[in-house]
Amino acid sequence: MSCHVAAEAAIAARTPPVLRLRAHPLKIALVGNPNVGKSVFFGRLTGRYATVSNYPGTTVTITSGRALVGAEVCDVIDTPGVNALEGMLSEDERITRQLLSEGGAELVIQVADARNLRRALLLTSQLADLGLPMILVLNMLDEAHARGVSVDATRLSETLGVPVIEAVALEGRGIAELKHALPLAALPRAARHHARDHFGWADATAARYRQISAISIGRFQEWLGRAVREPVTGLPILAVVLYLTYLFVGVFGAQTLVGALETGAFAGYINPAATKLASFIPVAFVRDFFVGEYGLVTMGLTYAIAIVLPVVTTFFLVFGFLEDSGYIPRLAIFSDRLFRAMGLNGKAVLPMVLGLGCDTMATMTTRILGTPKERLIAITLLALGVPCSAQLATIMGILGGISVWALLLLFAVVLAQMVFVGFLAAQALPGDRSHFILELPPLRLPRIKNLLTKTLLRVRWYLGEAVPLFLVGTALLFVLDRAGLLTALSQAARPIVTGALGLPADAAEVFVMGFLRRDYGAAGLFRMAHTGELTGVQAVVALTVMTLFVPCVANLLMIIKERGVKTGLAILAAVTVIAIGTGAAVNFGLAVFHIGF
Amino acid sequence: MTSIRSRGVSLAKLNPGTRGRIAHVARDLTGCAERLAVLGVTPGAAIRVLQTFPGIVFECDQTEMAVEREVARAILVDVE
Repeated sequence: MSCHVAAEAAIAARTPPVLRLRAHPLKIALVGNPNVGKSVFFGRLTGRYATVSNYPGTTVTITSGRALVGAEVCDVIDTPGVNALEGMLSEDERITRQLLSEGGAELVIQVADARNLRRALLLTSQLADLGLPMILVLNMLDEAHARGVSVDATRLSETLGVPVIEAVALEGRGIAELKHALPLAALPRAARHHARDHFGWADATAARYRQISAISIGRFQEWLGRAVREPVTGLPILAVVLYLTYLFVGVFGAQTLVGALETGAFAGYINPAATKLASFIPVAFVRDFFVGEYGLVTMGLTYAIAIVLPVVTTFFLVFGFLEDSGYIPRLAIFSDRLFRAMGLNGKAVLPMVLGLGCDTMATMTTRILGTPKERLIAITLLALGVPCSAQLATIMGILGGISVWALLLLFAVVLAQMVFVGFLAAQALPGDRSHFILELPPLRLPRIKNLLTKTLLRVRWYLGEAVPLFLVGTALLFVLDRAGLLTALSQAARPIVTGALGLPADAAEVFVMGFLRRDYGAAGLFRMAHTGELTGVQAVVALTVMTLFVPCVANLLMIIKERGVKTGLAILAAVTVIAIGTGAAVNFGLAVFHIGF
Repeated sequence: MTSIRSRGVSLAKLNPGTRGRIAHVARDLTGCAERLAVLGVTPGAAIRVLQTFPGIVFECDQTEMAVEREVARAILVDVE
């Protein structure tokens, strides 16, 4: 009897889970080394878009989505990239391991870069120990062939005892085959099966089934790769990249497009029309709520759509292009020494540059850093100095119109402040920094379709997240204004705002707006600058304070989520003091040296 | 002389363009060797030095990576 049960259990164990009766959808996890295209598969299988970029660490959270495979409903789970599931693990690797070992997935699709079979098999071997049936996908076969790498998938599949699928996910090749192979998923025969260690087995197996012939193409890529990472050519290239970004975002976006929308569409048509429409409202209070000085349309909507949206859109386009090209991680080579002075290493360039997109997202990306100390420093610097896309937008919009030197001064002050604070934090905080070891993704020409999808989704995210907050912020200002609190607040802040910073008293309310969203506050400054309420020097001082000032509510909440309430409040307090102090110092310095813009 | 050769030369001392195989990766308490190992930097792997300043960039097997000098010192290479 027991024998019979055992035999039945053995059959059940061999039967793929897809064919068993289940009460819930089959949970399939996409697992693999960083930057091998897991998110592309996720998109292809579920029809949902997960951000796809060309650098390790794009996916920092576990995302799941429904997929229909044949008649089966499956839950596909996208996981952050992992290099190992045993030994010393990063935070990402722990999250993925936990998901797999605690029943979060019933089947694993391991996505591998076909070129890097050795590293992939190391992971296969460790996955085998977790006891989940799996399929191995060799992705980016086109790039592997271009580099002269070929893999004998048939024989590899025989050896492992699991299906091995050849794929080029970006072109959709291999997706149908993968779906067909799902019922054949099985436990791989890897190191443990042969009583060997993971490394030895992966080495030997990769050597047996992979052939590397002379590299046929890729000379241009190699040349370009060298040009961007050697300092002699790389630094001028960086300067050109920054200048082109400025031209596209700061001039075309912040001046041409904003001009067309603000003075053209809003001041010319929308606001007069709204005012006309509102004149039918008999109550002045309600009328002002929509079209007054702090009106939902005349202020909230104008700021969100006319001032910030064009610049955010142009910025996301440039940013997406840089992300997909594989250029950003290469900046780590230049910046490693600078970051080391701040208790970090070159890898920190990723969260810092991503912070230019959105500080809240970048706060999550700090998980790729090695130690708790590094994460704390990086999060603080993001909150302190890195302007997010929308804020950068308004900065460029305001200072671009005044003088390039004002813009450069602002960046120099903010950067110097970050280095200084980072340096102090590195000395004061306990703990170590980790060594700089960074994998460089291949340089690629970005695909227009991915670039547009990504930009569109980010713009939609901006509209969904920022516009409501802009409107809430405007309503709040309206209420504060009517209750007389705004005047009281401006009075209370007068010693700091007009005294130390030398700004008009009205600027106090802009800082209140800045706490809701930095870009909302910056948009307020933008309007003050446009209507001539701010001089060049005042604009620089106000923007310095705003840039260094408290992060937006969303970012603060994310910091608290990642690091706790105490750390969050400490960062908030430190950042506020530093922001006002630096603003006062800049104001004083400019006055002493009689510098004007 | 032969014993020195078989133990390899530190990656930090090699010039760009040098090719070889990893001889040994020195272990310490920081866990660097483990992090390098999962990236494919293990004894026997083919290596090509691409750049040595400001950081050290090399290609190991099919992965291009950048490391700081201190890490490169721990990687010993049998030069071909």
